[in-house]
Amino acid sequence: MVKKILIIIPAYNEQYNILKTYKSIIDYNKQNKTNYDVIVINDGSIDNTKYILEKNKIPHINLIHNLGIGGAVQTGYKYAFENNYDIAVQFDGDGQHDIRYIKDLISSLKDNDMAIGSRFIGTKSSFKSTKMRRLGINVISFFIKLFTGKKIYDTTSGFRACNRVLIEKFSMSYPTEYPEPISTVEALKTNHKICEVAVEMNEREAGTSSIHSWKNIYYMVNVILSIIVVSLRRYK
Amino acid sequence: MSLKLILEALTFGIVMIIIIISIVKRGRISIKYSLVWLLSIFIILLAALIPNFMQMLADFLGFQTMSNMIFCLLFTLLIFICISLTIIVSGQKEKIRLLIQEVSILKEKVDKDEKGR
Repeated sequence: MVKKILIIIPAYNEQYNILKTYKSIIDYNKQNKTNYDVIVINDGSIDNTKYILEKNKIPHINLIHNLGIGGAVQTGYKYAFENNYDIAVQFDGDGQHDIRYIKDLISSLKDNDMAIGSRFIGTKSSFKSTKMRRLGINVISFFIKLFTGKKIYDTTSGFRACNRVLIEKFSMSYPTEYPEPISTVEALKTNHKICEVAVEMNEREAGTSSIHSWKNIYYMVNVILSIIVVSLRRYK
Repeated sequence: MSLKLILEALTFGIVMIIIIISIVKRGRISIKYSLVWLLSIFIILLAALIPNFMQMLADFLGFQTMSNMIFCLLFTLLIFICISLTIIVSGQKEKIRLLIQEVSILKEKVDKDEKGR
């Protein structure tokens, strides 16, 4: 049986990238005879994202109010669940992720519930983010290992694929704050299998990263606290 | 307590009750959430009306002065009200998120059906 595959693209103010990302998927489908469906979740963008989505007939859901990345991605999981998709792939709309690795993620789902596209395993990705960010990711990684016993290297990667079991779980409950590391912890704590797959990532084309700011320390403290809380929560 | 203070406390309590009841009447606070305020005002009135009530309570709880006890109790009460408000806000945030998601998915479905016709 052919698996139904959905690519979920959360988009907030991605007017310059979204069409390019969508076209790259359509071209890939044509060249490789794959059948990836796409749903763009327009997270209440205040630029022309909505207009571009409608003009180019890109399948999308317009959130009537901005929810943030977690709420947007969860909408995608709900859509995937309602429309009976077997596999859902989270994919960024800003050109950071590489369409060619989706097949690697999907093939590792054979014996896993979730596959995370990772910059830090293998030697594929030359772009490994800034030193400070990497330090942050390593600290998060350490805490996830401490509380779940599983080493996840690229904890903040938003490039991941899930099977039907996790689609259902995430459509019902998905963390809205720090969704990437926290959803990983939740999935591990509920005894789902997760693996990492080496992928290549491109540098963000636009956008600034603020290193050394208090905001980052605040972020780290919050993520670590959330990991602890989620780990201590009792699951049925 | 001096007579002056009792009169002040009584006036304050009555004015607060009138304010809160009028807000509830206009539907700006639900009855459920107004109860906690009415209850605390009721305690203030009780304290004003029963002679030596506060002093007895302070002695009973082991406070050296009555004013210390009042500040301490009020502070505790306010902290509890704040915590319960945080709980209410968090619950509402969840519900709003769910609403936005479901409405948006529905909207997309309706749009698609209309175009398909």
